[in-house]
Amino acid sequence: MNSSRSLALVSLFAALLAVFGLIPKIDLPLGVPITLQTLGVMLAGCLLGPRRALQAMLLFLLAVALGLPLLSGGRGGLGVFMAPSTGYLVGWPLGALVTGWLMSAFPRSTPRRAAVSAFAASSLGGLLVVHACGVVGLVNIAKLSWTQAFWGTLLFVPGDLLKCAVCALVVHTVARGLPDWNLGGRALK
Amino acid sequence: MGSLYSEHRSWLHGVPASVKLLLFALLGTAQYATNKVTLLGAGALVCILLFASLGRAILPARKLLASLLLASLLILAFHVFMKQAVLGWISVLRLLSASLLGIALTLTTRSTDLLEVLERLLSPLQKLGIKTERLALQLAMMLRFTEHFFVVWKRLDEAHRLRTGKAGGLRLLAPLTIQMLTSARRVADTLEMRMGE
Repeated sequence: MNSSRSLALVSLFAALLAVFGLIPKIDLPLGVPITLQTLGVMLAGCLLGPRRALQAMLLFLLAVALGLPLLSGGRGGLGVFMAPSTGYLVGWPLGALVTGWLMSAFPRSTPRRAAVSAFAASSLGGLLVVHACGVVGLVNIAKLSWTQAFWGTLLFVPGDLLKCAVCALVVHTVARGLPDWNLGGRALK
Repeated sequence: MGSLYSEHRSWLHGVPASVKLLLFALLGTAQYATNKVTLLGAGALVCILLFASLGRAILPARKLLASLLLASLLILAFHVFMKQAVLGWISVLRLLSASLLGIALTLTTRSTDLLEVLERLLSPLQKLGIKTERLALQLAMMLRFTEHFFVVWKRLDEAHRLRTGKAGGLRLLAPLTIQMLTSARRVADTLEMRMGE
């Protein structure tokens, strides 16, 4: 893929991630909120592939660090990188990278296979990796014990599993709507 | 897309972005050099006074401050409950200091100035063939298309409401994503024509 195409894809996906932050959050009956931006992390990996997904996440976080209120709830600035949830933010690029790697390795020849692969890739990359980073952040910044941090993060897993399912559905629709799109990255025809 | 930069001028607005960034990075790092609550408390007090000295410039950060206070209280309450009050104070004082410095930097520095500093810091990477000057273009494109995609989302939502009487919600994600991908192709073609690569 040439550099201008890569540049467009990375910038526009970062913009989509910002829009996900503007869409009002959805509250589950349990009271656990679903914000769409972690879904954006999963989608980035599945649709752009590892390298461009990583770049899109880094660009988005750079814009947040520069003071733009792009995180859900209008948060932004360097202060958000020093909060207890910092680990989750740091986990976004890593999660997108792992999701992209897995998506490019898993079968995606038909829309159904692509959806199943997207669910698996986003569960491992977008959920497991991001939550692992989140737990490390909670332990180091909020000084929780590993067990406490683990149980704390577990509260958000049901909502994130739902996001993995939504990610799979979106990938299924993209695979049907744009059949020439190379899921997992590499080529933009 | 507005930033959190405060238009109410304060003394810190006049300090160059690079100096503020260096000073705040040093102050933030110093917080991790000790575990003594008294020293950390003194450091936090300096940060609070510095932040308060900004006057009306802190107004755009009201929501952020409220969430910071809430997070601090929750962490402290949790540690007190677990009979680890000292550890709670250490993490809360560090969190308050680092966050207040970060917010002060954001409130008093234009994002373009910070970007300039960042580009200067990254400029050695150009020797490795990395085109760091494209960061500004990517950020500009990102902001331009954030507004565009938000308008697209609103239109999709309105169309869905007209058809069904209900909000579109998560059903709109797939069409919005497809619109983003097709837009990326068009933008890429335009850039290719202009930049020739």
